[in-house]
Amino acid sequence: MTVKKEKENELPRRGFCKECVKYSVALSAFSLFPGISNWAANAAERKEILKNPLSPSGGICNPAPVDFEKFYRQKWTWDKVHLGTHNVNCWFQQNCNFHVYTKEGKVIREEQVGNYPQTNSKVPDFNPKGCQKGCSYSELMYSKPRILNPLKREGERGEGKWKEVSWDEALTDIAGKLIDTIDRHGSKTVVVDPGSNIVNYLAFYSMFRFFDQLDSVILDVNCELGDDQQGAAVTFGEITNDRSADDYFYSDLVFIWGGNPAYTQIPNFHFLTEARYNGTKIVAISPDMNASAIHADYFIPVKPGTDSALANAISYILINEKLYKHDLICEQTDLPFLVRIDNNKLLRQSDLKKNGSSEILYRWNLNINKPQQADQATLNLGTCNPALEGEFKVKTINGIVTVQPVFEFLKKQLADFSPENASKICGVAPETIRKLAMMLVNAKAATNTCTSNFSKFYHGDILVRSQILAFILSGHLGRKGSGYVTASFLVPDGGVNLVYELEQVKERGLYYMAKYGASFWTNLYKSEDWRYTLYKYHIDTFVDSRSMVNSTLFWNLHGGIIEVSGRTKEWDPYLKRNINEYIKETLDKNWQVLDPALNTQPRVLFSWAGNSIRRVRSSQQLLKVLWPKLDLVVALEMRLSSTAMWADYVLPVNGAYEKTTTMVANTNTLSPFLHTTNKATENTGNSKDEWEIACLLAKKIQELSIQRNIRTFTSARKRIRRFDEMYNTLTATIKENESEKISKKIVDESSNLGDDAWNKMKKKGFVKFTGVGNDPANFGNACDIKPGETISPHTWHTENKKPWMTLSRRIQFYIDHDWYLELKEQLPIHKNPPKAGGDYPLVLTSGHARWSIHSLWRTDPLMLRLQRGEPFLLMSESDAQKRGIADDDKTKVYNDVGYMLTRVKVSPNVQPGQVIMYHGWESYQFAEWKSYRNVLASPLNPIEMVGDYPYLKPIMAVRQPGQNDRDTRVEVVKN
Amino acid sequence: MKEEKQEMEKMEKQIAMVIDLNKCIGCQTCTISCKRLWTNEPGMEYMYWNIVNTVPGEGTPRGWEKMGGGWKDGNLNYGKIPTEEEFGKAWEFNFDEVYYKGNAQKEHLKPLGDRPEWGPNWDEDKGAGQFPNSYYFYLPRICNHCSKPACLAACPLKAIYKREEDGVVVHDGDKCKGTRLCHSACPYKKVYFNTAKNMSQKCIACFPRLEKNVAPACVRQCPGRARHFGYINDKEGQVYKLVNDWKVALPLHPEFGTEPNVFYIPPQLPAKLNPDGTIDENAPRIPLGYLEELFGSGVGNVLEIIKKEREKKEYSELMALLISRKWEDMMKPFHQPPVKEG
Repeated sequence: MTVKKEKENELPRRGFCKECVKYSVALSAFSLFPGISNWAANAAERKEILKNPLSPSGGICNPAPVDFEKFYRQKWTWDKVHLGTHNVNCWFQQNCNFHVYTKEGKVIREEQVGNYPQTNSKVPDFNPKGCQKGCSYSELMYSKPRILNPLKREGERGEGKWKEVSWDEALTDIAGKLIDTIDRHGSKTVVVDPGSNIVNYLAFYSMFRFFDQLDSVILDVNCELGDDQQGAAVTFGEITNDRSADDYFYSDLVFIWGGNPAYTQIPNFHFLTEARYNGTKIVAISPDMNASAIHADYFIPVKPGTDSALANAISYILINEKLYKHDLICEQTDLPFLVRIDNNKLLRQSDLKKNGSSEILYRWNLNINKPQQADQATLNLGTCNPALEGEFKVKTINGIVTVQPVFEFLKKQLADFSPENASKICGVAPETIRKLAMMLVNAKAATNTCTSNFSKFYHGDILVRSQILAFILSGHLGRKGSGYVTASFLVPDGGVNLVYELEQVKERGLYYMAKYGASFWTNLYKSEDWRYTLYKYHIDTFVDSRSMVNSTLFWNLHGGIIEVSGRTKEWDPYLKRNINEYIKETLDKNWQVLDPALNTQPRVLFSWAGNSIRRVRSSQQLLKVLWPKLDLVVALEMRLSSTAMWADYVLPVNGAYEKTTTMVANTNTLSPFLHTTNKATENTGNSKDEWEIACLLAKKIQELSIQRNIRTFTSARKRIRRFDEMYNTLTATIKENESEKISKKIVDESSNLGDDAWNKMKKKGFVKFTGVGNDPANFGNACDIKPGETISPHTWHTENKKPWMTLSRRIQFYIDHDWYLELKEQLPIHKNPPKAGGDYPLVLTSGHARWSIHSLWRTDPLMLRLQRGEPFLLMSESDAQKRGIADDDKTKVYNDVGYMLTRVKVSPNVQPGQVIMYHGWESYQFAEWKSYRNVLASPLNPIEMVGDYPYLKPIMAVRQPGQNDRDTRVEVVKN
Repeated sequence: MKEEKQEMEKMEKQIAMVIDLNKCIGCQTCTISCKRLWTNEPGMEYMYWNIVNTVPGEGTPRGWEKMGGGWKDGNLNYGKIPTEEEFGKAWEFNFDEVYYKGNAQKEHLKPLGDRPEWGPNWDEDKGAGQFPNSYYFYLPRICNHCSKPACLAACPLKAIYKREEDGVVVHDGDKCKGTRLCHSACPYKKVYFNTAKNMSQKCIACFPRLEKNVAPACVRQCPGRARHFGYINDKEGQVYKLVNDWKVALPLHPEFGTEPNVFYIPPQLPAKLNPDGTIDENAPRIPLGYLEELFGSGVGNVLEIIKKEREKKEYSELMALLISRKWEDMMKPFHQPPVKEG
């Protein structure tokens, strides 16, 4: 019986009486339906039966159907199941083991496998992991934004006019342009933005191999996107340092300080809620009452960017009331190291004797009443009883100087940060600051949740340096559940072998022969200190190697962002010199890498596994200044992203479930498992995987170069490279249809995955990391991974007394680089955040979203339906009211550098004076495409450009200039 | 009513669920898992058999708590039938206009048609109160597979039945003719209408999975590990212990009278802040009255029990249950994997 449906809440009318529209008339409508009079008449009987619808006497009032249930049973069926995960950069959440279900070759859904181990019986196991994004990838992969065929731009860039072309046509055109460009203008005019999705090893390997063959500029985007962890980089010497999620069970105090793990660590958050039941106290410190704070015991609202004042006040209390852990800081930190009061420089051996080392430093040994060299090979104090306080005289080659331990300088500077003073800056009441300090003092094991948030503040380094100081002073370091964690990072170390396949490394080999020849490498692993030596090798050679180029400098100087970000002095009250002076000095002195040189115009840009127009703050400048310089813009994309919309060619790349790949770079100690994702279905549309694309493009280059007789080019190091062998070289060991071998290679060649890892991963979906291995990127964790034990970082320092990778070989709080001294940042002392973008009353903060990993799910209908369909700015009730803005109103958000157009969501959880735009929205989700990128001034901070200091040199992903946005000032008006 | 309650026998095999609101992080993985399994066909777009609402809030459908339904003094109440707008429509988007029609920056991605006024999760993360003492938490809701289902009672065609083997309440799609009296009678407003098949549908507790001893998707796929699941009468099971032994798992709006078989552990939010910024350890952030509105008068006592057990230095069975170190323990005997390993 088909019934015509009139209105949603109307009973089907079948042409009957019109009054049957109100629910209250439903009773009378009973008479219209067959059998209904029976039902109504037996109301009493019905009541009786309903007491127990399936009574023991068998009086079933509504019989179960005979056949109908198979309607639902058949929904939960499938043809095949594969193990899979999602090759996305979900970093702290990474990756989750799924079963991928297919029917007739198409993926119909996925579900977590739930087969992670329990480390030991004391702690919860890791199951099931997963999140709403991974659990709906099967929908995203077939949804509207997906690109099925190569697209060639027609009309203007950004216009949205496309022609579908064949792979052959696209690759031929691109290959031809590459040959012409390199031939005419040089190899460094071709630039690739790897993006953050190179955590998918297929993408990483293919990108690096391909562009290495072309001697292109490969951008290093980690600092630019704001994951630089500068504070950790300059204090611990390394940024990687995190505990496993189940190690939190050993913490009795956890600070969710600055992060929002309820949004960004969905699969692991349960460890915190479980720890809470286990007696752990959770403290959430953030400007707004975010989704993590509701699970805390204490929520401490703090003014954005003032956490360093709060941390300094805690340290003030610890020092003034002598609550600090004396022995720990004497052994592990540079706080007892001697500083000259005449020039504020650390006392060095080069001060005391001719040709002395500038890297040997001193402590005052109270046992012998003399300055004593601090041992570089061990943290063991031996017979040294270092002074933390006092004033001493030392005979240098230039006469007697007065020295004091760093601790004295710290005391002096912290004097300004009594709880009462700090309270005025950070907005936390003095008694509450005191309470936090005492919680840290009394906790057996205190830790924080890792976050990339602070790296996105201008003074992000000071914010974290001061937090580390508070944790170390209160004794929390390198024990079960104890210590301040920074970036979570643990990679399969087989990846280091990539260097053997790179042309640039072969070229550099000749360059380095004298210093780093064969004997260097053979002797390296024999020394006890080999990790330090290896790390130092990378620090000392990274700039010269030019293997990767800092993208912040590239976008700023070639892309015109400097017009916005170079106005730092307008907004930072402490800056005395113009930022351009610092930039000139850093480039002249070769402290940081910029390619191509300033006088060379970039001409080709590839977006390989990222979305720079979405990601880069002030990207509208790139469209204005960089794009006109480019003859060719190519985007490899699964979907039409912001960057793809502005490209000349969009090449459809396949996604998860369509290829076998393994993850790197987003793998970590937090969930210490390495996953594969396996090919469960054919490529969607005509998409191809990254390796196949790279190989086919290389083939075209090889063929065309022979046709046109442009067979070679000269690299930047003046070596002859061959276009006409590019495909052969690229595919010497792995062909374009053998992508799986790439993942197998890194797994087989890794020493930290255990035996037979590849087969185990294929069977189970993952293996557990067995150790830190040989990749320097992992060394910061400085711990063993023992079976049956949770992972607690930094135990090599606290238990084995291994030195830190800093100048002092200790946790370094005092940095006497000239720029640090000039900016008065030698110690981690709070500085007020700049008013980035101008003097406007509202601070625009941000964070990673619950609803997307970067931009990948931002345009997904399933996700958007569970939000508001469009981006929104979160605003406090009082600020909205003051401006006459109601919930969901359209507004204009502006400052001195630009404006965005967005709707508003009014929330009682936002701090007055703060507004929040969560990240990842595509440009085209904003009216007139005026996205939040337009107001993000991202002032350049010179402190991130330093070099020529033993450990303050850039390496891959670390200690390079970055972008920032969380000090942005705006005003909001109804639009 | 009380008399009926005493006479009421819970079925021998009645599945039940306990949702721990201290663990729910509002990620909607349960919502999406259910959607991808059951409601991803034409006519089902607006359906969320499981939804997680931020509360205090108007919920899904909007204002459902005041829409009526349920039982009152032994009589069935007929309430409002929620509209699709009140549930929140499943917006379609203008992808073509943005991507392919050469509109440059004149078109931006948004739902087709007029600006929506509501959606199934419109007031996410809002809540109530005043900063810094605002408060909110997440309330996942599914069909409660009630022991006194108003929907079943209301159906004039006897198209709703309660399965003998597990007490799951199901709409028989062959018998349903779309009268929607069940929508009117359900006080939780968890019944939906399939516009393609012209029949009512709702959560089926994943009964095909239960038949294989596999827990419902919303239970098994929850990364927050917020859901305990099992037979209500299984004395060894976590659900029984939480509901009957410890009595810390409470039904939602028990006054509706339908005897729901989904229970909640009430949430404990952070301590409040005094106007001078000091911490008040004792004042509850969520007004007790609000929690009592949701869970009845016993909720204050439950919070005390949990607090006391948490502060214990020695072993606490309640904490062990709420922590559940072994994930599988949370859903026994439905802990079998959907796919056997190997």
